[in-house]
Amino acid sequence: MTKNETTKNDTVRNGAVRNGTSKKVMNKRMGIILKSLLTRWDGLIASIFCMLWIAVSIISLVWTPYALTFTDGYNVWSAPSSSHILGTDGAGADVFSWLMAGSATELLIVCAVAVITAVCGVSGVAVSVSRNSGVRGISVVTFDALISIPIIVIALLCAAPWGASIVGVIIACSFAYSLNLMRVVRPSAITAVRSPYVTFARYKGISEFKIFWTHILPQIIPSVIINVSFASATAILAESGLTYLGVGVPSHIASWGRSLSTAANFVTIHPSVALWPGVIITVAVIMINLLGDALRESIDPLTNAELRRS
Amino acid sequence: MTKKHRQQSLSAQLANLRMDVDSSGAVDSSDASLDETLNQQRIKRSSRVRSIWWSGIASIVSVILVLVALTLGYNVLGASSASGSVTIGLQLAPTNLDIRNTSGTALDQLLIGNIYESLLTRTTDNTVSAGIAQSWDVSDDRLTYTFHLAENVTFSNGDALDAHDVVWSINTMMKEELQGSTQIEGFESVEAPDAHTVVLKLVAPYSQLLWNLSGRAGIVLDKDARYDAKTQAVGSGPYELSKYEPGFYATLSARDNYWGTHKAQTKTVTVRYYPEPQAALNALTSGDAQVIAPISSTLSKAIEHDSRFIVRAGEDTDKYVLAFNNASGPLTNKSIRQAIRYAIDNEAIIASRGGTDAALGGPIPSLDPGYEDLTHVYPTDISKARSLMREQGYTQEKPLSLSLTYANTYPAEIGQQLVSQLAKIGIRLTVHRVEFATWLSTVYKNRDFDISLVDHNESHDFFQWANPQYYYGYDNKRVQSLYSQAMQASTDKQRDELLAQAARIVSEDAPADWLFNYRVMTTWDRNVTGFPVNLNQTWMPLWEVRVR
Amino acid sequence: MMQTAGVKQTMQAKQTVQAKQTVQMNQRNIIKTILSRIALFVVMLWIVSLVIFFALRILPGDVAAIIAGTNSSVERYRSIRTQLGLDRPLIEQYGSWLWDIVRGNLGTSVITGQAMGERLTVRAAVTFPLIIMSMIITLAMGIPTAVWSVTSQHAWVRTSLRVMSQILGAIPALWAGLLLVMIFGKGSGFIGILPTQGFPAQPLSSVSTFLTACASLILPAVSVGIITAAQVMRYTRSALLDGENANHIAWSMTAGMTYAQAVRTTGLRLALPQIISVAGVTFASMITGVLTVETLFNIPGIATILLSDMSERDLPAVQTELLLLAAFFLLVGLVIDMLQRLIDPRLRAQQAHTNQ
Repeated sequence: MTKNETTKNDTVRNGAVRNGTSKKVMNKRMGIILKSLLTRWDGLIASIFCMLWIAVSIISLVWTPYALTFTDGYNVWSAPSSSHILGTDGAGADVFSWLMAGSATELLIVCAVAVITAVCGVSGVAVSVSRNSGVRGISVVTFDALISIPIIVIALLCAAPWGASIVGVIIACSFAYSLNLMRVVRPSAITAVRSPYVTFARYKGISEFKIFWTHILPQIIPSVIINVSFASATAILAESGLTYLGVGVPSHIASWGRSLSTAANFVTIHPSVALWPGVIITVAVIMINLLGDALRESIDPLTNAELRRS
Repeated sequence: MTKKHRQQSLSAQLANLRMDVDSSGAVDSSDASLDETLNQQRIKRSSRVRSIWWSGIASIVSVILVLVALTLGYNVLGASSASGSVTIGLQLAPTNLDIRNTSGTALDQLLIGNIYESLLTRTTDNTVSAGIAQSWDVSDDRLTYTFHLAENVTFSNGDALDAHDVVWSINTMMKEELQGSTQIEGFESVEAPDAHTVVLKLVAPYSQLLWNLSGRAGIVLDKDARYDAKTQAVGSGPYELSKYEPGFYATLSARDNYWGTHKAQTKTVTVRYYPEPQAALNALTSGDAQVIAPISSTLSKAIEHDSRFIVRAGEDTDKYVLAFNNASGPLTNKSIRQAIRYAIDNEAIIASRGGTDAALGGPIPSLDPGYEDLTHVYPTDISKARSLMREQGYTQEKPLSLSLTYANTYPAEIGQQLVSQLAKIGIRLTVHRVEFATWLSTVYKNRDFDISLVDHNESHDFFQWANPQYYYGYDNKRVQSLYSQAMQASTDKQRDELLAQAARIVSEDAPADWLFNYRVMTTWDRNVTGFPVNLNQTWMPLWEVRVR
Repeated sequence: MMQTAGVKQTMQAKQTVQAKQTVQMNQRNIIKTILSRIALFVVMLWIVSLVIFFALRILPGDVAAIIAGTNSSVERYRSIRTQLGLDRPLIEQYGSWLWDIVRGNLGTSVITGQAMGERLTVRAAVTFPLIIMSMIITLAMGIPTAVWSVTSQHAWVRTSLRVMSQILGAIPALWAGLLLVMIFGKGSGFIGILPTQGFPAQPLSSVSTFLTACASLILPAVSVGIITAAQVMRYTRSALLDGENANHIAWSMTAGMTYAQAVRTTGLRLALPQIISVAGVTFASMITGVLTVETLFNIPGIATILLSDMSERDLPAVQTELLLLAAFFLLVGLVIDMLQRLIDPRLRAQQAHTNQ
């Protein structure tokens, strides 16, 4: 016990992703993270769901039970039957086909929001804890000022010139959630900046970027992951709200929010049509959250013993 | 493991710690049992846990209790509508009350006949009858109209209404080009020879004058009253405005000193606006509103068999006009316009909306002069539409791309169905549902569109087809001359024939497709009587409304 | 046991003394900080005013076209524009707007003709009770359940709380509202006991209208509140289990506390800055959160006029509304910041460090 173990602990303390780590070790760690992700029950379920989601989205691009342009004015709001598994909507279109096609739209929104939020959010955090007090001050003031603009306003601003669009939803969500991420993660980043090894690294004259990458980022990664998963899950919820208010996904493009809002106005007489989009949105959001949780625990050396040992 | 070691590898322990918590709930109990102090601590811990448990429960329970108490209180003491009052639920709210400056039929609906009165009034079948002017004479050359006003007419502020108010109202409207000024074509002058006579002179005959004077063009305002027209209203109608919150409600109270025969039968009428149809239905079924107009005909199925309510479809002049850009773009090609008209299955669209709307083949609806059934001009005929498109070089494999721009106040389902129907003949339709303001600027002002959809709900609006400057860009000299002849016609019959002739030409030219004539479904509580069923989206006199 | 309690007391006393000393030492710094924060607040508001004003001018269409409608001439439209001053240079419009705001003149809504102050007061009297009601539900449900889900001895309690928070936090507000209407909606639900639309005109005129007003807000507040409660619970839970926080909890345990004690005293206190931050962000973003339910439940709140003014291009009204909302958010942010500094000596120390 003792000497061997102490060394391992040192590795942990110096940061999980140490600068100069070879690619091989990186790959090995990725393997460990993936393995631990898939051995957790929540990680496994969430991963399976996401795979299914991606598969359905891809299939829907080439095939849906009914074409999206199919409508039947004489057969609106019909109950589920063998020809329409989930019934038809107010235009006589097949609800199941539109939900299937909606999953592709939703996937696009989730991925785009996650990537943009992560990149912009982390860059924002980096800027807001930078050494240069002028840059730090201006960035903090600007971010805090901009966060006061509600997401709906950004969506309205995007929707007004070009009409409601997916891009508008993505911009509005990414804008709001990046600022949100900066605000929530900044305290952990400030704590990390105050740690002795950052001070030491700064004395050694290591570049700010490198310090952020090697010392601060690993410290804030768990909370970034939680925030990004929160952002992408909330993006689905926001999409349904914005679409309901007419500034989200346009009505001719399939999305879960669209399916929910078209049903919203007829909920007392056709409750089942409002049921499925709601259920699927809820399940998708849960799965993204579970994935975020599982990923956070798998990637964090404090909670993943195997990763610590590598 | 020793305690000393535990402190050395704290992080590692921590992970175990959480794993223990997650798996068994007892924190490292085997270790703790080694230490006597910690062992005792476990007893204390359980009491701590309990206290946390209790404070948590307490806060949750107290919130729930408050909510339950409020619910109980509401159900026991909550406000029920007072007797002698009626609440009417409408859909589209006017943005303000300034009827002389602001467009939109929501204002006509709320104010004309209730708070403001026009020189003349309308009947439920859309013809003119006596109002403030009890009778009128028309000169033989149809250029001079003499109106004889009722006596003892007063405004709600107590001022007397006489011919000078009428003259002032019409003169300021014409001079400042206020709303309604376009409805008196060929205006020359208006004078008041005495306090109860008004003489209106035209430079050319205008057969629509009397009908227009029953609407905005004929509203009589108090020339001496000073008030903020956007939030207040002073008129001679049976009601006065007692409270108004833009976009939400307006409360009308009956005037005790009303001058005419249309004396209000109910003391207080509240008009509430429910933009969401579902909310409107809930308001009706929960008793918060006694009348809902309109109710979507799909939703009305929920109360069809409910004996508490009556559901009726009324006649209206709402025309869902799918207008083509006749001035530029691919739709200047008549064959494509015709193909679209053949391709559209109006009956299917009507069926999908609940089947109450009427098919409409031309620009004039059944309640307007010059109506004739034109639905046979372009019957639904997919193969004919396909062959027309093929002649122009478009097939399903090689489709023509068009865009449809319409305001998001109209249902998405219509666009969805049009996409589907036009796809069959080789047109790929892209739908842009935009805000009304955007529609006004891109389509109405800048003419940047292929196809547009608007519910033109005004009555007597055929002039749109005789005006090449209108956004349709429809320019047909024959139609224009027929229309001007109709406007100068000496009898109503002659006018109607000329208008019908013009309408037939318009329909054959296919500058638009008239998807349907929207018939408004109205539903009301059985105890309510006197609410107008016809035309109630543009003309909604409430004086007869009462609760049994 | 006595011994441990003693140790704990000493520890607490020591902490208090230290905190007091720090407060005294940093009192001047704090006043300086507060003043600089207020100056920052003004600067931020100015940035927001710039962004809002010019972003709104990108929108196509204008209020004059809306007023003129579809049956008016181009001349009429132009004269309305001139009358409203929409043809003045943008800089001039911006300047006069800002100058009016600085003088405390909120202006008049072009389209409704109401004074903005009055208009917003009437609507805020609906929206703020709704937000506060949702916030109470959020905090009263979210934080205790978070602590409970970490400290409970029973595995099934922890699991079911986690599952519940996952499910509730994942429901779209629109759907929650619809479900609540279908269950509790008067006239349409299975247990029809609560109003599903509207709000009394004069909520304070009598007891019964007041109760109706409160009852009208219950379903909207619950549909927003349970969702944000679940989110706050998740955040609080993860803050309690945060790496560094867990370190402190473990240290507290080595000093003799039990896990539950450590979580409640050390953990919760250390997580407080994050919880406050999350609560603040939630509070500030409630305006967007309640927008959907205000529309669904037909409640005359601020969100509804924002939406309608925007769609009618009543830009003078919209920009004032947005600026006031921004001012409100920033004020919340300012308060959060101050609270965090008051609670977290680490941030205070950092501030002192930077000031030096």
